[in-house]
Amino acid sequence: MTDNAADRVGRFVDDLLHGRKPRRFVASQEEAEAMTAAAGLVAGRIGADIPDKAALDRIHRKLSEALDESPVIDFRPTRRTWLRTLGTAAAAVVVGVALDEVATHQSAGPDGGAATVLMPDNGTWRPVAAVTQLPAGHAMPVSTGSVDAVVINDSGNISAVSGICTHLGCKLEPDDATRKLNCPCHQTAFSWSGKVLYYRLKSAPATLPKIPARVNDGQIELFVV
Amino acid sequence: MVGVTEPRLAGLPDPNAPGEAATAVYPDWESVYQDNVVGIYRLVFRRVGNAADAEELAAEVLMQTLKTLRLPAPVHNVRAYLVKTARTVMADHWRRHYAARDAAIELERLPADALVAPPNSESAERAQRLLGLLPDHFKRILELRFLRGYSVREAANEMGVTESNARVMQFRALRKAAELEKEVLA
Repeated sequence: MTDNAADRVGRFVDDLLHGRKPRRFVASQEEAEAMTAAAGLVAGRIGADIPDKAALDRIHRKLSEALDESPVIDFRPTRRTWLRTLGTAAAAVVVGVALDEVATHQSAGPDGGAATVLMPDNGTWRPVAAVTQLPAGHAMPVSTGSVDAVVINDSGNISAVSGICTHLGCKLEPDDATRKLNCPCHQTAFSWSGKVLYYRLKSAPATLPKIPARVNDGQIELFVV
Repeated sequence: MVGVTEPRLAGLPDPNAPGEAATAVYPDWESVYQDNVVGIYRLVFRRVGNAADAEELAAEVLMQTLKTLRLPAPVHNVRAYLVKTARTVMADHWRRHYAARDAAIELERLPADALVAPPNSESAERAQRLLGLLPDHFKRILELRFLRGYSVREAANEMGVTESNARVMQFRALRKAAELEKEVLA
């Protein structure tokens, strides 16, 4: 069976369309151009070029292993750790243990500081929105009177961080498309976990405090005063 | 936060654009990763067309950049360096796996803003526009294959040609599309 340019490119296209890593071969200039066009057409299929969770996890792990001198601090384990801590906190409420013991530093911030869980002495769970108001992939500013917060629905996981920039107190503006919380005052951006993504200040502002959040009877509730 | 069902859709912002983060700073590698990983992945995917290579190359781009850069560093510097690294990594990929020297050189010469990943809807629209510029039979074979997922045999049956002819037609259509992409849509 002869193996011409059309066959080779055909196999390349088949691999792409079946989501396989293409077989390697020596391509002429014409073939390479056709292959590039094929890659562009595949990328043009709706959603085709959006990485899945597993791919992002693997990239992150690879970078962590190569770049972190200390044990990896991953957002997801950190969040899980935090949720576990919150679970402990909730249990502590039930058994009457002083909650202020739980208001400890949870994870390293970008400035070498730490993310703090805002755990008031006389807090209570207050509803701030219906779960149906916050679809997955969205963040929403809310206020309880005493606390301005941003509640986040990250793939069904509800969380909350302070809605106030840790630099000078401007109210943060969620940008769902980029999954950032932007400070309108000095171009600082925070991630949904409260981590500083970038800033244009002399030094990094602190990580946003986390606010205990839960879903109860269809309502998103925050533990605030 | 990463690893979600609805990842950030933003592409890699134009590093030369004024405004958003002209003097903003990335404090550490996690910030660089979070802010750019999806954009880099999509940028690479447009050139390789498959998830396995896109993941490998996106990791390589971030790795090379982050190993070289000293952080904190200005956002625009980091993004410019990411784009430059992405060009080199992709060119190297084509050179290494397909011996495609000319394609590799072309990639290296692309201006930085040509590598800014547009939103996915824009990529889809661009693909549609490109198909619209092709002669009917070329457009048909590519639509059947890339948009409707037909095998070569199914596309050949649909078009009333032999399988071998359909394969040749697909190759010629892709070459024409590449030509048009350079000439008309550039």
